[in-house]
Amino acid sequence: MRLSDIMAHAGLSTYAEVALVIFLVAFLLIAVSVFAPSRKQEFDAASRMPLDDVHPQSPRGDAS
Amino acid sequence: MNPQLESFRYDDAIVRKFLWATFLWGLIGMTVGLLIALQLAMPALNFDIAWLSFGRLRPLHTNAVIFAFAGNAFFTGAYYSSQRLLKARMFSDLLSRVHFWGWQLIIVLAAVTLPLGFTQAKEYAELEWPIDILIAVVWVIFAVNFFGTIAKRRERHLYVALWFYIASIVTVAILHIFNNLSVPAGPLKSYSIYAGVQDAFMQWWYGHNAVAFFLTTPFLGLMYYFLPKAADKPIFSYRLSILHFWTIVFLYIWAGPHHLHYTALPEWASTLGMVFSVMLWMPSWGGMINGLLTLRGAWKKVVEDPILKFFVVAITAYGMSTFEGPMLSVRSVNALAHYTDWIIAHVHTGALGWNGFLAFGMIYWLAPRLFQTRLHSMKMAELHFWLATFGIILYVTAIYSAGLTQGLMWRAYDVTGRLEYPAFIETVMRLMPMYWVRVAGGALYLTGMVLFGYNLLKTWQTRPATYEEPVIQAAPLGDYEELAAPRPAGALARFAQAAWHRTWERLPVTFTVMVAVAVIVASLFEIIPTFLIKSNVPTIASVKPYTPLELAGRDIYIREGCFNCHSQMIRPLRYETDRYGEYSKPGEFVYDHPFLWGSRRIGPDLAREGGKYPDLWHVRHMEAPRDIEAKSIMPAYPWMLTNALDFDGIQSRVDAMVMLGVPYGPAVNDAPAMARQQARAIAQSIAAQGGPADLSDKEIVAMVAYLQRLGRDLGAQPAATTVGGQ
Repeated sequence: MRLSDIMAHAGLSTYAEVALVIFLVAFLLIAVSVFAPSRKQEFDAASRMPLDDVHPQSPRGDAS
Repeated sequence: MNPQLESFRYDDAIVRKFLWATFLWGLIGMTVGLLIALQLAMPALNFDIAWLSFGRLRPLHTNAVIFAFAGNAFFTGAYYSSQRLLKARMFSDLLSRVHFWGWQLIIVLAAVTLPLGFTQAKEYAELEWPIDILIAVVWVIFAVNFFGTIAKRRERHLYVALWFYIASIVTVAILHIFNNLSVPAGPLKSYSIYAGVQDAFMQWWYGHNAVAFFLTTPFLGLMYYFLPKAADKPIFSYRLSILHFWTIVFLYIWAGPHHLHYTALPEWASTLGMVFSVMLWMPSWGGMINGLLTLRGAWKKVVEDPILKFFVVAITAYGMSTFEGPMLSVRSVNALAHYTDWIIAHVHTGALGWNGFLAFGMIYWLAPRLFQTRLHSMKMAELHFWLATFGIILYVTAIYSAGLTQGLMWRAYDVTGRLEYPAFIETVMRLMPMYWVRVAGGALYLTGMVLFGYNLLKTWQTRPATYEEPVIQAAPLGDYEELAAPRPAGALARFAQAAWHRTWERLPVTFTVMVAVAVIVASLFEIIPTFLIKSNVPTIASVKPYTPLELAGRDIYIREGCFNCHSQMIRPLRYETDRYGEYSKPGEFVYDHPFLWGSRRIGPDLAREGGKYPDLWHVRHMEAPRDIEAKSIMPAYPWMLTNALDFDGIQSRVDAMVMLGVPYGPAVNDAPAMARQQARAIAQSIAAQGGPADLSDKEIVAMVAYLQRLGRDLGAQPAATTVGGQ
């Protein structure tokens, strides 16, 4: 019996659905964390990063 | 002040280098594009010179605009923005320079080898194996330099633009390596390790993601940096940008199989590609809206500022092509659009509109800052904007209508139930006016490009004698002290604080691994079943490997780039089988390293070409197509009748095929002699049909042998289809 015989009988065509569920869950986790109200300050600082070429927006010791 | 401040300078010299390379290769790539557009309208414009013929120049055009123009534009913006976002000079000036010169060397090698006919025959992966290795090495050098800069950064948070850069760097490396795995058969010749259906699957996994991770994510990174710069305000929603990033990374990698609807690819795979493609519409439009809303309250500035105009049209073009992409991925729409010019119009909305305009806007913004002077002429930039905009409009409207026209003509039936346009040439002639409008549109766009270069040159001439390099001071990041601090107990509490997410963002190693995992997992979920479920590729007993001579002919077919205009894939649709014959089966392609299904029918499908015409017809048709079909737009290949065929070189090609598992039998030791024997027989039949005497040592016999073989194995014996596995 070769590897391809084993794989052929493993029913891999459902992998796509399994992956879809995994990815959906990952997406929801990210969406929840991104839209947590507590992070507004952090994101406001981050969004200003391109506008200042000189001063770090989240330097050493800045916990936000 | 903090005594620990470090002093450093940004390296803008490397950014200036990439800026000039962007312009130069853009000009060349678009000029080649204009030339091949002209050749379609007027075939004589290839002057019967081999290295100017359409099949060889089309890959040069696509590679030049994707990897040379857009690639250098990405590097320009990435080197400028990364240093400033990370508050650090690039990790190594030497690596920056090696990256720059290495990349330009690759482009030069491509510009030489592609017109000479050295190609792997896989779209946007045409370059042969030594150049592929060089690309991998230079890409790794870029990656080391980039990640090294991140490691010594003085800014804790990685701005979202950098995420897009990281995802691009990681994913392009994976795609490039796996799609280009091949067995060399000579210094500039190789065969893909995949065959037929699998090769097609890998190619479009690569091909679609080359669009995603070379033309989309890098440019989204540029958008998220340079749009706020040009508008002088932060991005509308940083949250949306993070969501945009992760959804793009999660979804894009699955979308490739939508290029293979109705082909011999298993239906479940192309359905999966379609579903994910439709889902991609949402994050893409989220990104577009995020970009456009950044300009809220600044629309007055857009009226006056050509730079913002370029950005607005670029983002709008992104929105249009990412709406159209999902639509084209729907099977029934795809049935009409596939193989037509519609796809060409679609990619040009993206390339000319999104990539081109974003690059122009970015460089107009950068030029005065990099050359430390004023832009020579804002008016000229404004003129460039309008020329290029009208160029795009002319181009895409003409080519959209060409695509629809041809797609509808191919499927038209008359009242008696027969194909209304059985002669393919009718569907070509109808496109000629549109092809000329395309030439006009392309010429306008190119004129804008010339103005762009003149404007840059005049700006550069007013640069100061020496560039100022201001010293920046910032504290090093040091250790991540808060990681050692007590963390809230309980997974849920930690998750609610989103501490995990902040941690990854600061540790790009973990972040990078996460991106790689998302990409690899998606790829494996998609690829493994296609490769390992035997029933997906039923074997057909009557399908045999190509003879040594046919293999040599196939390599000439590849060299001349015939697959750029001719597909070899008949879809199971009535109007296809009525026109071309029995639809293509997956099992017919098991010895096709690489697959040659093609993606565009500028000429008719050739999957069942074998036996349709006498040998002499092919000889005459190759020598002078317009002697056979007066309105044909096919290039002439007179050199095939005079070039000597390299019989002795066939052995190493057969050997490479044998290494890939193709059962060649006696040809393993005897390929040249077998080829000579078959060549003599074909030359005799050509002479007997009244053609030139003794062509037996010329390339044309190999070409005829290959063309006459196409699609005949299926009927060679009673259909002995056996489904393996189950």
